[in-house]
Amino acid sequence: MQRVSKAAGRKAISGDLVFRIVNGLLLGLVALIVLYPLYFVIIASISSPEAVLAGKVVLFPVGVNFDGFRKILERSDIWRGYLNTIIYTVLTVILSLLVTVPAGWALSRKTLPGKKFWMMFFIIPMFFGGGLIPFYNVMSSLKLVNTMWAVILPSILSVWNLFMTKTFFETSIPDGLIEAAKIDGAGQFRVFTSVVLPLSKAIMAVMALYYAVGQWNSYFNAMIFLQDESLYPLQLVLKEILIASESTVGGSGETILEQFRLANQLKYVSVIVSSLPVLCLYPFVQKYFAQGVMIGSLKE
Amino acid sequence: MAALSLKNIQKIYPHSGQSKPRKKKGEPEKKSNLQVTAQGVIAVQAFNLDIADKEFIVLVGPSGCGKSTTLRMVAGLEEISGGELYIDGKLMNDVEPKNRDIAMVFQSYALYPHMTVYENMAFPLKLRKAPKDEIDRRVKEAAAILDITQYLDRKPKALSGGQRQRVAIGRAIVREPKVLLMDEPLSNLDAKLRNQMRAEIIKLRQKINTTFMYVTHDQTEAMTLGDRIVIMKDGWIQQIGTPQEVFDHPANLFVAGFIGMPQMNFFDARLLCEGGKYSVSAGGCTVELSPEKQANLAAKKVPAQDITLGVRPSHMVLSGQHGNTLTAVVEVSELMGSEVHFHANAGGKDVVVIVPTMNADGGRVDSFRSGDKLNLTFSGSVCHIFGQDGKNLEF
Ligand SMILES: Nc1ncnc2c1ncn2[C@@H]1O[C@H](COP(=O)(O)OP(=O)(O)OP(=O)(O)O)[C@@H](O)[C@H]1O
Ligand SMILES: [Mg+2]
Repeated sequence: MQRVSKAAGRKAISGDLVFRIVNGLLLGLVALIVLYPLYFVIIASISSPEAVLAGKVVLFPVGVNFDGFRKILERSDIWRGYLNTIIYTVLTVILSLLVTVPAGWALSRKTLPGKKFWMMFFIIPMFFGGGLIPFYNVMSSLKLVNTMWAVILPSILSVWNLFMTKTFFETSIPDGLIEAAKIDGAGQFRVFTSVVLPLSKAIMAVMALYYAVGQWNSYFNAMIFLQDESLYPLQLVLKEILIASESTVGGSGETILEQFRLANQLKYVSVIVSSLPVLCLYPFVQKYFAQGVMIGSLKE
Repeated sequence: MAALSLKNIQKIYPHSGQSKPRKKKGEPEKKSNLQVTAQGVIAVQAFNLDIADKEFIVLVGPSGCGKSTTLRMVAGLEEISGGELYIDGKLMNDVEPKNRDIAMVFQSYALYPHMTVYENMAFPLKLRKAPKDEIDRRVKEAAAILDITQYLDRKPKALSGGQRQRVAIGRAIVREPKVLLMDEPLSNLDAKLRNQMRAEIIKLRQKINTTFMYVTHDQTEAMTLGDRIVIMKDGWIQQIGTPQEVFDHPANLFVAGFIGMPQMNFFDARLLCEGGKYSVSAGGCTVELSPEKQANLAAKKVPAQDITLGVRPSHMVLSGQHGNTLTAVVEVSELMGSEVHFHANAGGKDVVVIVPTMNADGGRVDSFRSGDKLNLTFSGSVCHIFGQDGKNLEF
């Protein structure tokens, strides 16, 4: 032990090496903490429910079977839920970008008339909500209850995202470019469409992802406002399936125990079914996160 | 192609919300010597200037003196707080930048990073709905003038600093604007490129018919480029004149010290007036002024008084013998090929003297070493006389 440390000390790289080893170990640990639950969900979804319940599934699936997937994917309401969720998500993303990006741009301008008022207008509801019942009343008076707009419209502006967009514009679009465009002959609108928007792909991608993931995973508004099952988004359908399989005693010859076991497997399957598309979306959006769009336009 | 007229232009930057409460009544707050009033910081005041068609005007002055602010008011990027701006006789105070028919080259280049060089240069024409073939023709013409034809398909980030600056200039000239504004366009370039681009701008000027307004803090640029230069300090114009005028007849101590490298030497001196003849006396050296200066002073009936005397380093003359001379002790001598720069001390004041290495009769003068005494004198035609308030007494 002592000899080893002496030798390392002589080589004078010991500090560096130790740091790198400790660093690697810590990062590896963090990665493990993040990745293992994901991995566990995957193996649990294809293992026999008994093995999962008995705690035998740790590193590898035990008693591989796809009953859970079969059970879920053969239901037609799952596919309709998928379709609904996709429609809601796409519409939410489009509408939210249409609202968030121009609003963020306007708020980022020092010359915006009544800027203080508008900031307050957005900040106050960020901290004080009206409560569920007034919310329901509003939606109901607008005749939106039991329509898809009840799920979409409340989600198209997140104040948090709006402020992120505003900050992006304040920090990432140099004033010089805007001034150059004004002198080149662009009006307010032209500056926005020809100069600001093309330089805002990064923030638009991030916003699209945030809004998409938010809408994809949400079920609360749907649960409150939708009665018609044909309008249910995927999350709500999965919830219904889980609840149904846990509570009903099957009439098709299955025993209560079997029902219970299946319910447990369905839990994992539904996690996979609902999160797979979002996981697939990440790689496409990811490149925008770190992209330095401004390189080369201005000399720092 | 336009005449510009700035009448009593003023710019006040209002106090920002935070700094106002700090300010106590009756206690003038100093922000880089700019005047501060209740309304805010006065960045530019009493700016009067008439610019002729196709004239090349250079605004020069130390950092923070209001050069950019003035230019940005002409461009319409900054609101004009007071006074009137006319372009071709039309009042422009409240006209949008895009309707002023001006173009501007920014220090930061401000090229659109998502557009190619060609698109960057075509953008102002496209916004003015010029026909496609005309856009193409004009962009290619400008690119040829600036020698950037081979980069037309590149994005700005694939260009060097000098090339980007050319593109920025190209974008400004394609439109053939009435007035071309440039805010320190060369200050991001290295010394060699800067000299090269300076020459290019002089050439460019001969090729395009436009009124130029050029901001710099570099006096070499100002002296070489400007038809007339405007020297500013703390928001005030100090002097307007041709480069030769401001060099030969600085209006005040500031201009005298600002223009010219190395700086003009200043001495505490006395203006004497005996029998209608003016002379100056500094440290044991009395020199009669030239007839021209005599006339200027006499016309204003300037009385004898204590003055600050200014003499440029190259106007100091080494005198062979002692007597009616200023004595200075050499501290450092720098041999610069054909001339020698002496940094000397005359009665506690630093003096720089530039003399040719060879005398007219072939004698060498570079034999002075540190600690040696110099006997200096100067001619009565090249000295400058400033009163106690710093103003040139001849004006
Ligand atoms: N937005 C602003 N608010 C308050 N004061 C300002 C603002 N912009 C500029 N100033 C002040 O006005 C003065 C003149 O600024 P300006 O940018 O015109 O200087 P400049 O002569 O261009 O200097 P430089 O050579 O450093 O570019 C400065 O003292 C600056 O602090
Ligand atoms: Mg400036």
